[in-house]
Amino acid sequence: MSLAQSARVSGALALRSLRRIRRLPSAFVPSLAMPVFMAVAFTGAFRAITEVPGFPTDDAASWFVPLAALQGAAFGGIGIGLGALGDIETGFYDRLLLAPSTPAALVAGPLLAGALRALFPVTAALAVGFVTGMEVPGGPAGVVLLVAVGAAVCLMAAGWALGLAYRVRTQAAPGLMQAGLLLAFFLSTTQVPLSVMTGWLHTVARVNPMTNVFRLARQGFLGEITWHDTWPGLLVLSVGIAATTLFAYRGVARLQR
Amino acid sequence: MSPSAATEVAPPEGALDGPSLGPPLRALARRSSVAFRRRPGSLFPVVMPLFFAALSTASFQRATGIEGFPEVDGFLDFLLAATITQGVLFGGIQAGADMALDVQDGFFERLLATPVPRLALLLGHLAGAVAFAALQTVFFLVVLGIGGASVKAGPAGVVVLVLYGGLVALAIGGVMVGVALRTGSTEAVQGSFPLVFILLFLSSAFFPTALMSGWYRDLAEANPVSWMVDGARELVIEGWSFGAAAQALGVAAGLAALTMAFATRSLARRVRAS
Repeated sequence: MSLAQSARVSGALALRSLRRIRRLPSAFVPSLAMPVFMAVAFTGAFRAITEVPGFPTDDAASWFVPLAALQGAAFGGIGIGLGALGDIETGFYDRLLLAPSTPAALVAGPLLAGALRALFPVTAALAVGFVTGMEVPGGPAGVVLLVAVGAAVCLMAAGWALGLAYRVRTQAAPGLMQAGLLLAFFLSTTQVPLSVMTGWLHTVARVNPMTNVFRLARQGFLGEITWHDTWPGLLVLSVGIAATTLFAYRGVARLQR
Repeated sequence: MSPSAATEVAPPEGALDGPSLGPPLRALARRSSVAFRRRPGSLFPVVMPLFFAALSTASFQRATGIEGFPEVDGFLDFLLAATITQGVLFGGIQAGADMALDVQDGFFERLLATPVPRLALLLGHLAGAVAFAALQTVFFLVVLGIGGASVKAGPAGVVVLVLYGGLVALAIGGVMVGVALRTGSTEAVQGSFPLVFILLFLSSAFFPTALMSGWYRDLAEANPVSWMVDGARELVIEGWSFGAAAQALGVAAGLAALTMAFATRSLARRVRAS
């Protein structure tokens, strides 16, 4: 199968995934509502945490809105995996596997859709932030960086979720998808920076690669963008996307066999 | 016997009482408790609140030094009442899901064909949730106690907290069973989970309202979840007080009465429709 044909298959699958937003809003709306709620709830409930000495900002929204955006993006990626699981259960994938397509094309389509779908929750979280007067010292570049990191996190989560969907193929998969995501997120600097953490969480978050991703995504909201805070996150995202895409690719290849 | 045939021999429609409540209630309560024990998902409302308690304590321990934060030995003390409330609320959803499953698979219709008092169908389901909540509360008290939390109100405070857990389970179970009886859908019951999450977050469960501001603080202070959690928390961090015990138990009991009324009406509606 030529590269052009594979690209056409991927494009069609991506388009199908995006059309589901309109056809099945009940599955998409929660992924949009959640980041809005998280941004409001975390900023409202934990506003005073910024008063702890060492907290890098006095604006709670600048800290929690990027968290809500990335979490929404990640759950958008999980949504891609849930869609694939539904397709496997209804037999759509069986028909797809009979068609002349490659595993790479079958994985690339949903991943592409995931990267685009990430824009919705990230925009929703940012909108909450701007409405509440969030500060962005890094300027527009900080916002663009957060959007880009959101798309990358969504890709990573989608790869993880697709890999599980192709392997588990039952309703046990969603629990595993979400559990993996929650652990990766919450055992990092989601709620407070390393300087404010205590005990075991500090030890775990210090070595959790997601800490670098949050540092990358938040830097424009806490100050200027620097290469020092950028490269570790870029490295984690690159390796993470490569690893989870391979995980998904091998899963669909196994399904094909 | 088909469901339609079953309804032909059912007791008078809409009847919520029957010959004898005791034995069928015991049997249904036992069935509900066994279901809680057998279901692997029952671990979720036990493990998740503990995970979040550990996480929040490590994250927000230093927040206890902020001016306006209640006097506590540690953030875990502050979080104890919230952990109980969170776990019990999550567990209570399962009572509704079980009821919805009974409606979906026709077991509820078969029960209606028997001379079981209608109220036993409701109370049987909720009894399992209440028993599970009481066990959950004891478990949380023991585990968080090992983690360093303590109930300043002593044994009397512990008894109130266990009762509080049971009443909260009755309150949330009443809503969920009511939703289950009206919709007959497990998806609808499970879909209520975010609402519980929102109620918890828009309250003083995880952070004191004194440190919130603006409309968020107003909303949290007006949320009944804050009232009952604050009562339970006072017993944990300040010591014994009849006022605090009455606040925790009274608000939870009030909510339970409201939701039980909703569940009973939903049951009557379902019985009439069957």
